[in-house]
Amino acid sequence: MVSLAPGILSVGSVSPAGIGPESLEKDFPTTLVTDRDAGGEHPASLVDRSHPALLRWEKSPRLRRASPITYFMIEAVSQALEAAPGIDLSRTGVVASFFLGCLVYSARFYRDMNKEGRRFASPILFPETVFNSPLSHVVSTLGIGGPVHSQIGDKSCWATALRTAECWLRLGEADHVIVLGAEEFDPLICHAFRASGLMKRGGLLPGEGAGAILLTSGTTPCNTRLSRLTDGHAFHSKEEALPAARSCLEDLPQGDPVLSTATSWVRTTERLATEDRLLARQETVRCEASTASAAWDTIRGIRLLERMETENLIVPYWGLTREFSAARLSRGTLQD
Amino acid sequence: MISRDPSTRAVITGYGCVTPLGEDAPSTWSSLIAGETARAPITIIEVEGCRVTEGAQARLPDLGFLSTKQTRRLSRASRLAIPAAGEALGMAGLLDSSGRSVLGRLEMSVSTTACGMEKGEQFVRALRVGSSAGNATRVSRYQAHQQVAEIQSSYGFGGSVMIVANACAGGGNAIGHAADLIRSGMAEIVLAGGYDALCELVFAGFDSLQTLAPDACRPFDKGRSGLMLGEGAAFLVIESEHHAARRGARILGAVAGYGQTTDTLHLTQPAQDGAPLEKAMRKALATAGMEASEIGYVNAHGTGTPFNDGAEARAFQRVFGDTPVRLSSTKAALGHTLGAAGSIEAVLSLLAIESGCLPPQINLLDPEPDVAGHLTGLGEKREINAAMSVNLGFGGSNAAVIFSKS
Repeated sequence: MVSLAPGILSVGSVSPAGIGPESLEKDFPTTLVTDRDAGGEHPASLVDRSHPALLRWEKSPRLRRASPITYFMIEAVSQALEAAPGIDLSRTGVVASFFLGCLVYSARFYRDMNKEGRRFASPILFPETVFNSPLSHVVSTLGIGGPVHSQIGDKSCWATALRTAECWLRLGEADHVIVLGAEEFDPLICHAFRASGLMKRGGLLPGEGAGAILLTSGTTPCNTRLSRLTDGHAFHSKEEALPAARSCLEDLPQGDPVLSTATSWVRTTERLATEDRLLARQETVRCEASTASAAWDTIRGIRLLERMETENLIVPYWGLTREFSAARLSRGTLQD
Repeated sequence: MISRDPSTRAVITGYGCVTPLGEDAPSTWSSLIAGETARAPITIIEVEGCRVTEGAQARLPDLGFLSTKQTRRLSRASRLAIPAAGEALGMAGLLDSSGRSVLGRLEMSVSTTACGMEKGEQFVRALRVGSSAGNATRVSRYQAHQQVAEIQSSYGFGGSVMIVANACAGGGNAIGHAADLIRSGMAEIVLAGGYDALCELVFAGFDSLQTLAPDACRPFDKGRSGLMLGEGAAFLVIESEHHAARRGARILGAVAGYGQTTDTLHLTQPAQDGAPLEKAMRKALATAGMEASEIGYVNAHGTGTPFNDGAEARAFQRVFGDTPVRLSSTKAALGHTLGAAGSIEAVLSLLAIESGCLPPQINLLDPEPDVAGHLTGLGEKREINAAMSVNLGFGGSNAAVIFSKS
């Protein structure tokens, strides 16, 4: 029987550790960011926004005023496309997933509006605060012509984005679909995480960046396939998190190793839910960049599977506030 | 072509909405058909200093099944979304006698642009004055997945949730995606819809763009001067025909076709020839296996801005030409509800099919020539078999969804 599982053709990444998927193996740098508005210094792991790979996009007219997140996204997508030359962009779709999206410009727009008065709110900044603006810049600049979705949620919505891609591939709405996770840092997020109790005892290092994977239909030969997805395992309290995590993993074939991806308070939940199936965590410094982290974890999983003897690997996406989801990666095959 | 297979044909078994014209679908519909408008001074958010201070605000329905404390903690968006979802679930026969879902898991496909924005605004204001009390609640209630969680916990179900934020086209995308999930066999039943509440950031943003109408919103009028912001929520229960038949549900209509495109010309202005929108409409017709002449009514995006309505009118002219299609924008009556617009307008399109009454194009003085012969009048009745709902959004998102009789 021919598998319908989407194949993974290529990947792209922009992270605090560098440009390109290879850099995900490195330590993520930590810096102290000063908050000029609300005060205080916050630890964060940030992308080098002056990197030539990002600055090359400044020449594009659509991107002159675009937010940092747009630059992360377009660079990650272009890496994935450059690694799979010759695909028909008019038949390529994109699903981008965000936790907070255009945070930098949203915070600036609201701050300036409060400072200067509503009459002087910026008509240039406002359209850039809309969730789907960065992706609109990306598809316009790269000439992508298939279906386009900007989706939001916590980290777990990355799996829902993958599921949307699978749906489009099954229906023939697109021949290829790029799935993106992207976030940008603003000191505001540290205040929000702190208010939510997520930064207690240094348990979370906020980060930023983007990751992209290029999916193709089930009939195309590929080294790695997305053989199963599960999402919608919600929790409303930390007490409900462990049953939700177990339910998430029970929805997938048992016995496959699980990649450790948890940050913050979810580390304990992950350890209890996975028991002896958990693959040892890489001892590098990581940050939490929500959907971008989910994309990076998927890329790490793909690269790990290439080096392992196992046929399958589970990559969980532990949302910090709402939901858990996971993907099962399998070695490429056309057979179920 | 759209599936004729009952296991993958997407039918509608329930709908509900909360709009500035009414607290549910029947009250909204009766006010709309009577030619009323909800335009009034904005009182629920601060608009002092804005060029325009009028819009369409909704009256929040009573949530009797929640305590006063629980209700007070909800974002305004949740106050709109919960009753709209409940009306749809109830109509579909998915609630038991105590108002709880009979399904433990029910997939959702949802649209919003602003989430629970006023909670985020309150959080930022509190930070500026150094206050931390209540900030944990404000942060959690801002996020989009929180409004969805509140819908789920209000009716007692869980399951996969897709939240699309394709700006003002998102409501159409959410419904189209629900139909796609059923068409692909990836879901049997989906609660699809959208919500957005008025908030300071978005109101001031549109005001800064000078796109708000200083007086009556006049879609497709040569003298149109802008849009009227509104708020609301709407949901539809969409399931496979086979699933509906198996549980004995009454079928109210079908999602017959869906098309989406992205206009890459500009972030906020559609291509003036309307070509990307035309492509979305033709895609919807193709998936429905229909000719343009089979569409009896189009619920247009029709924001009332010079750019939007001009591009849209040209696209309509090319797709529908001399067909007898009737057309109106209901935003003149209930406002532009952003992420909820596509879902509310889907409900209105279904009601037009069901009742044979067509929503009138109000506030019209001097119609755009491209659509002048198609715009509906007050009290117009016509039996129609199919209606198309069209939405455009910032970022160039376009969505066209076709609804048909069961």
